[in-house]
Amino acid sequence: MRTRIRRDDVEAYVMIAPFFAFFTLFVMVPIIVNFVNSFTNYDLGRTRDFIGFRNYVRLFTDGDFLRSVLNTLVYAAFSVIPLMVLGFIAAVSVYGVSRVLYMARALYIFPYVTSMVAVSMIWLYMYEPTTGIFNKILVFLGFKPLTWLFDEGLALPCLIIMNIWKNIGYVMIIYLAGLAGIPESLYEAGKVDGASRFAMLFKITVPLVSPISFFIFVTTCIESFKTFEQVRIMTGGGPINSTTTIVHQIYMRAFGEYKMGYASAMSIVLLIIIFGITLLNMRLGEEREGKSW
Amino acid sequence: MDRKSEREPERKAKSKPGREVVKITGIKADRKDAVYKVMTWLMVLFFTVVIGFPFFIMVSVSLQTMQEIYLPELVLFPARPQFINYVRAMKNGNWGRYFFNSGYVTLIVVAISLFINSMTGYAFARIKFQGRKLLFILLLIGMMIPPQVTMVPLFIMMKSFPLAGGNNLLGMGGRGLINTYAGLIIPFIAGSFGVFLCRQFYLSFPDDIDNSARIDGCSRFLTFTRIYLPLSRPVLASLGILKFTGTWNEYIWPLIMTNSDSMKTVQVALTMFRDEAEILWNQLMAATIVSSLVIYILFVCLQKYFIAGILSGSMKE
Repeated sequence: MRTRIRRDDVEAYVMIAPFFAFFTLFVMVPIIVNFVNSFTNYDLGRTRDFIGFRNYVRLFTDGDFLRSVLNTLVYAAFSVIPLMVLGFIAAVSVYGVSRVLYMARALYIFPYVTSMVAVSMIWLYMYEPTTGIFNKILVFLGFKPLTWLFDEGLALPCLIIMNIWKNIGYVMIIYLAGLAGIPESLYEAGKVDGASRFAMLFKITVPLVSPISFFIFVTTCIESFKTFEQVRIMTGGGPINSTTTIVHQIYMRAFGEYKMGYASAMSIVLLIIIFGITLLNMRLGEEREGKSW
Repeated sequence: MDRKSEREPERKAKSKPGREVVKITGIKADRKDAVYKVMTWLMVLFFTVVIGFPFFIMVSVSLQTMQEIYLPELVLFPARPQFINYVRAMKNGNWGRYFFNSGYVTLIVVAISLFINSMTGYAFARIKFQGRKLLFILLLIGMMIPPQVTMVPLFIMMKSFPLAGGNNLLGMGGRGLINTYAGLIIPFIAGSFGVFLCRQFYLSFPDDIDNSARIDGCSRFLTFTRIYLPLSRPVLASLGILKFTGTWNEYIWPLIMTNSDSMKTVQVALTMFRDEAEILWNQLMAATIVSSLVIYILFVCLQKYFIAGILSGSMKE
């Protein structure tokens, strides 16, 4: 029996070896390299001197970076809540068995499967001040045209609206699964008590999908913190840094200025934020379920 | 999956008495229910218009002439659909090459990662080896690390990859894996999520399978390839389609890893239209459609697996 277990061990190690080789080399080692680099002034050239916490101290006085953190927080806050509300409404609306509803569902998921580059291109056209469709509609309706992505106050909301459009389908899918998990008997009991569909929506559906709401909150939050593509493609962080995000700053410092050490410090801050959200999620999840994770 | 099938008979059993109950309740609730029904259909209409509109505009613009696009008036339907825009867009740049690059990278990533992930998932689910708990926790931590955090060090590592692209043993002197397929492929092979997904799937198999395979003298690896792998179609389809979409749609990594035109992927190539002095919107929209077509076809054909894949991320048990 003993040898059997040992042979199992060896076989298991051989089977997981390829994965852990890639995993160690290209996930774990980079994190360590990142951590080490964040304490240096590495610039892809010859210099790689240790400068202690100077990169981290500089982050707190770097106006561009602080602006990017603020932008990212605004982006996350104003994306997540509308996404959850609209995604929930979409899920409740298309819940049911019908050909039309199935087609509607598929349509709502299309933006989610489309690449962020493609989505950015479509919206870039629509927001375009001279030829874009939004200004044409505004003028058609008798309003003054706007400058959209070229307006300092409007650019970030423009990106947020596009983000909501892209991800409604994702939120809807998750909520649909949640709706399918609610026992039909609860609604029938509600009917016996004379409750209307609206009342049951708020008294039965909303509370019962709350663990799912929480999951969606966390995942969409984390996704928002990774925002980069649309910023790089549509606004380049402008006008006047009004749309630059944390990842965009990392990209600019690392691949525009080759300040690898400084960019690494930013990456570590981003990692801490994302780990923070994840740990908060686990802790709250524990309390919710009353058992350890 | 299990939970759903348990609940199905319950629902059927209760649907009949439910109908009788509706008759007893008052007309008021019925009227409100009618309002609810109308509201949900209005919402379906609303979302269909709002979500469909940008797609409609994309198709419409791709078929317009630049004159129509420059008109101050709203043009929803082009006077004469300009299918030639698609031909021109594909000739504007080396698109055959870009599609080959994206396809090649995506297929290799999907093939290798599916095999490695399922094999690792099998080991974690079916073999009680020493240290599996610790390794699994390590894997879960890896799942939390976003690629945006590791892109800077990964780039440095790829650039100084030993003995590649003119580098010496210490990784100095050359370009390393920059502008190579290997550089585009390697970081996407190790996905913790795939292992996690496969492990969940294999956990539900009965022990008898492993036991009888063992009695027949099958090694663990053979048990995996001969018995488990052929039964893994649902999980591999879900994971494969997620991996495919993710790799095909990837922008940031090819952006920093390639700087020659011949190594560009489709997503990076799309942004070239934007960098021109005068953006040819009709060609850009045509190229956008063509580049997304692969994903759309895949999605329409394999929607079931696609949704199962997205959902599997939300069920951590």
